Amino acid sequence: MSVTNLFDPSGIAVVGASATPGKIGYEAMSNAIEFGGPVYPVNPSASGTVFDREFVSSVTEIDGDVDLALLCVPASVVPDVVAECGEAGIGAAIIFAGGFSEAGPEGEELQERLVAAADEGDVSLLGPNTSGFLAPSKDLYATFATDIESIPAGNLAIVAQSGGLAYAVAFQAENAGIGISAMVGLGNRANVGFREAIEYFDGDAETDAILLHVEGTDRGRDLLETCRESETPVVAYNVGEQDVGDFAESHTGALTGEYELYEAGFAQYGVPTVRSSPELLDAGQALATCPEPDGPNVGVVTAQAGPGIAITDRLKAAGARLPSLTEETQDVVEEILPGITFSANPVDTARPMPEFGDVVAAVARDDNVDIVLVYELYEGGLGYPTEALEGLVDEVEKPIVFATGGPRAILDEKLPALEDLGIPTYRAPERAADGVGALVQYARRNADPELAADEGVSADD
Amino acid sequence: MTEPTDPIEAALAEGRTALTEAEAKGLLAERGLTVPDGETVRSPDAAVEAAESLGYPVVVKVAAPSVQHKSEWAGGIGVHVNLEGPDAVRTAAAEILEAAAERDVDAAVLVEEAVDLDAGLEVIVGGTRDPSFGPTVLVGLGGVTVEVLQDTSHRLAPISTAEAVAMTRDLEASPLFDGYRGSPAVDREAVAEAIVTVGDLLDAREEITEIEVNPLLAQSDRAVALDALVSLDD
Repeated sequence: MSVTNLFDPSGIAVVGASATPGKIGYEAMSNAIEFGGPVYPVNPSASGTVFDREFVSSVTEIDGDVDLALLCVPASVVPDVVAECGEAGIGAAIIFAGGFSEAGPEGEELQERLVAAADEGDVSLLGPNTSGFLAPSKDLYATFATDIESIPAGNLAIVAQSGGLAYAVAFQAENAGIGISAMVGLGNRANVGFREAIEYFDGDAETDAILLHVEGTDRGRDLLETCRESETPVVAYNVGEQDVGDFAESHTGALTGEYELYEAGFAQYGVPTVRSSPELLDAGQALATCPEPDGPNVGVVTAQAGPGIAITDRLKAAGARLPSLTEETQDVVEEILPGITFSANPVDTARPMPEFGDVVAAVARDDNVDIVLVYELYEGGLGYPTEALEGLVDEVEKPIVFATGGPRAILDEKLPALEDLGIPTYRAPERAADGVGALVQYARRNADPELAADEGVSADD
Repeated sequence: MTEPTDPIEAALAEGRTALTEAEAKGLLAERGLTVPDGETVRSPDAAVEAAESLGYPVVVKVAAPSVQHKSEWAGGIGVHVNLEGPDAVRTAAAEILEAAAERDVDAAVLVEEAVDLDAGLEVIVGGTRDPSFGPTVLVGLGGVTVEVLQDTSHRLAPISTAEAVAMTRDLEASPLFDGYRGSPAVDREAVAEAIVTVGDLLDAREEITEIEVNPLLAQSDRAVALDALVSLDD
């Protein structure tokens, strides 16, 4: 079974394609035709054409290159259609229908038949009970959801257990102008689950971070091992904190909720975690854009103290350390800001100033600092220190994260230049702190065990 | 009484879903966990003899595979703490054996050296075989605290001692381990070793579904398992 058929197909069949707008078979067809490769509408009871493509009666009748089938058919016929896909040599199918293992004993039986048919025909299944997936850079929209073409291509892969949550994150990205390499709703995970999807996107050249949404799986340890094996950073949003079981007579079992095990497990296996879908996106942006941080020491530079305090507060809660700057850095900063400032960490310049970029550069070059977070309210006369920061990320090989506020039109115009320097930008102080929080977690959770000994944890075995 | 070489196999052969306290403690002690010195006996006279050789004060408990919640058993006579002399031991053991006979329970009596609860911090160390994650361990403060505050830290087992130390630092109650209001700091590393032991045991023996050491009394120089429960797959 290869998931390449699924996520990188050469041709697509839409089974249950329809010429009636509003039907799943129509919407899926209208999305599929965006794809550059061949797309075939399949429907035994339809004739003529849809979107200028002639209906085919069965997947076994397709004369051409197809390795992915979108199944817009009722649950009851899905196992038979998957069997036909196997016969036709179609290596992957996406099953939109619900009514399988999520729907009681009869559904479970149907899913067993489905998996048996897929095993027999060597077919990778996305779903059932999924809204599908999309990969904007390939114009690949394997879904029945509408109005998705505006989601821009980028370097974040969203792998969500729930298709609905996957879209929730993808559209937040779209609204923020952030691009994605792919968005996948795994659904019931009949035979393509977290492992297969994460492994695929780890190997995908376009993907620089994997954003994971987890509700629960019966293969928890396997999921964690997959995340640890991934070279591409993974950040996880684990839902279900409040779902605690009743206290039983014996404590151990009752105290060990699934949520606790996921949180503990992600920490143990080096995966940062977040607590909301916006944070998932903020974390993903930082992990995808920045070089890997060497440690949890953050240097904060602000042009306004209030946001700086809010940032510092949130950073500390995320486990960041705000180290003192070296004397050398303090000398540089004090030369730029004689006498008036607090030249410890955070460094606050009290307002934007022409030399603001030089202050950022000095902090970035400080040996005590692993990560730099900058906050500066936009000020027209000064703009952003884009020139001063040019090449700085490469020079220091440290994450530099920028947060700001200002009129949307100006930010839309000015921030891309900073993004192009490898500096992720955020429009709220706390959101930048969340992005840096993920970097801090990543650094802490993947720290060299010998360095961890410095943190008061003995590493004597 | 001959000790079975493997208490888990013996228990399973008898159709039991849990080890006795003595069996559970024995299994953990074999892997290095500190348990109070003790002896399982079958008569009040033997209980006194055991107490004499252990030295007073002692604790006397009901020991029967079917009794998991000893302190609630038979109207609260299942556990007698802090017994200072032979008469008290004899009476306690007789009460337990009588109550067991009345209830048709095949019971013995566990006599153990008493450990002063005030000279330490009560901790719970547990392990459970999760269907999705496999062997997992937890640590928290013992007794009511863990129920009310759910101040616990979890890991997937097996783990290193360093990681187990980090678990104790995860607890909100962590500062209590460092000593408070004049009480001495407890041996954090010994608690960590107990967590490691529970995780290793669970990892090594697939028949075990759950382990609970509660309380584990963390003292300044050791951590001693005052009670232990090992549940088996039925």
